[in-house]
Amino acid sequence: MSGPAVEVSGVGVRYRPFVERAPTLRRVIARRGLRRTEEVTALRDVSFTVRRGETMGLIGDNGAGKSTLLRVIARTMRPDAGRVTVRGETSTLLQLGAGFNLELSGRRNVFLSGLAHGLRYVEIRELFDEIVEFSGIGRAIDRPLKSYSSGMLSRLAFSISRALRPDILLLDEVLAVGDAGFKEKSLGAMRELLARGGTVIVASHSLAMMADLCDRAVWLAGGEMRERGEAATVVEKYQAAVAARR
Amino acid sequence: MSTVTAGESARLSGWRTYLRNLWRWREFCWFLALSNLKARNASASLGLTWWVLNPLIMAAVYFLVFGLIFDGRRGDGDFIAWLVSGVFVFNYTATAMTSGANSILANGKLLVNIRFPRMVLPISAVIETGIGFLFSVAIYYFIAWPADGVGPGWYLIWLVPALAAHTVFNLGLAALTARLAIPFRDINNLLPHITRLWLYLSPIIWPLSLLADRGGWLEEAAVYNPMFGLLTLYRTALMGRPLDGEAALIALAWTVLLAAWGIISFVRQEGNMVRFL
Repeated sequence: MSGPAVEVSGVGVRYRPFVERAPTLRRVIARRGLRRTEEVTALRDVSFTVRRGETMGLIGDNGAGKSTLLRVIARTMRPDAGRVTVRGETSTLLQLGAGFNLELSGRRNVFLSGLAHGLRYVEIRELFDEIVEFSGIGRAIDRPLKSYSSGMLSRLAFSISRALRPDILLLDEVLAVGDAGFKEKSLGAMRELLARGGTVIVASHSLAMMADLCDRAVWLAGGEMRERGEAATVVEKYQAAVAARR
Repeated sequence: MSTVTAGESARLSGWRTYLRNLWRWREFCWFLALSNLKARNASASLGLTWWVLNPLIMAAVYFLVFGLIFDGRRGDGDFIAWLVSGVFVFNYTATAMTSGANSILANGKLLVNIRFPRMVLPISAVIETGIGFLFSVAIYYFIAWPADGVGPGWYLIWLVPALAAHTVFNLGLAALTARLAIPFRDINNLLPHITRLWLYLSPIIWPLSLLADRGGWLEEAAVYNPMFGLLTLYRTALMGRPLDGEAALIALAWTVLLAAWGIISFVRQEGNMVRFL
């Protein structure tokens, strides 16, 4: 495989909140024939590339489009404009407890999650011990998930993602939850991934960590790319802008 | 390498890739269905017993109203076997439609996080419902045999095509309700009324002789109800009633049409689903 791991070119996403979020029958009938509902632009003309072995950070205010952008890169959502090319397998931690069923045991959820990623049952059985070991959940793996703390949930989710050995790891504000020990372990796992030519794209509000962790960063504001470049520089500019607003 | 481009169709991949992926995710379909059964079992004290109890209570209510109060037993005979088989068969379709509609909404986090062929969700919902239906076929004999003396016979062989066509039919409907439920959540409010009307329009609580008595366009039109042919096929398999070839063929045509329509319209919307969650 040659070329950058991720190419995002001219990506735009629009939401039509009235028609698309909760278009009840009444609203649709009431709006038909009237002027089109206003569109909310989640992303407009966003372009950047991420090379292999690189960590890219996404920063910006709440609602700037970071999560939408990660969904488009994960290709769980099709953009309205532009194109996304991804070379390699992605693994995603976008929302805490990705698709977990809280009534079921941790063990069953590990299998569900692995199968959802397209693994075979036997493959997951081989990875199982490693996942439980890394998560540090121990014997609680056979307890129903609803008895887990949020830290335990995110540790399990991260351990599954890591075990899938993705080429590209997409993270959305997930490292903030685990305790200090696990955070150190996760950072280690990410360095491992980068060392074997993997790629990490991470969205976070902990700017100090972003400046430290990422090679480059993209600053999103109102769905548009305000700045992109070396992580420390972009973070600095963003911090200056936030300070100026106060 | 995988590229997703904005375009006319909201599919997430080409059809060939899609079918290959569906096959790759087959274990997930089964595991999700069995896990949901397990979760359901854990969450209510009677657990999976409700799967049998629900249609049983339904059949008991219809027996009380239409068998005893309206004295429907006069019809073609074997009223209890007729009613219970009809209610159980219809319940498979009604439940598949409801759980199909819920399958996408209930798995929102999975959709946002993981890229997989979305059809596995309605497929898994139909598998889950179908397992429950197989149990109710066994229950049927426990009721019909002692009540009407209707036991299994060689004609039970017809259960295989009936089950196959019915399951594909239900899958088409589940995909269709799932597709509609994503933008239009109203579907969940509408479905109980649609299924109730459909139940009354199908030969479940009334015997076929009712149609012959009324005659005219009503008798002509009834056979075009997709449920009509499926029920006739099941009654051949479960009660040894004569096979109605025309009704079976019409049901088969409906199955192909609904499966194609449901699945294609569902897959074409896959790329937009996450927007609504």
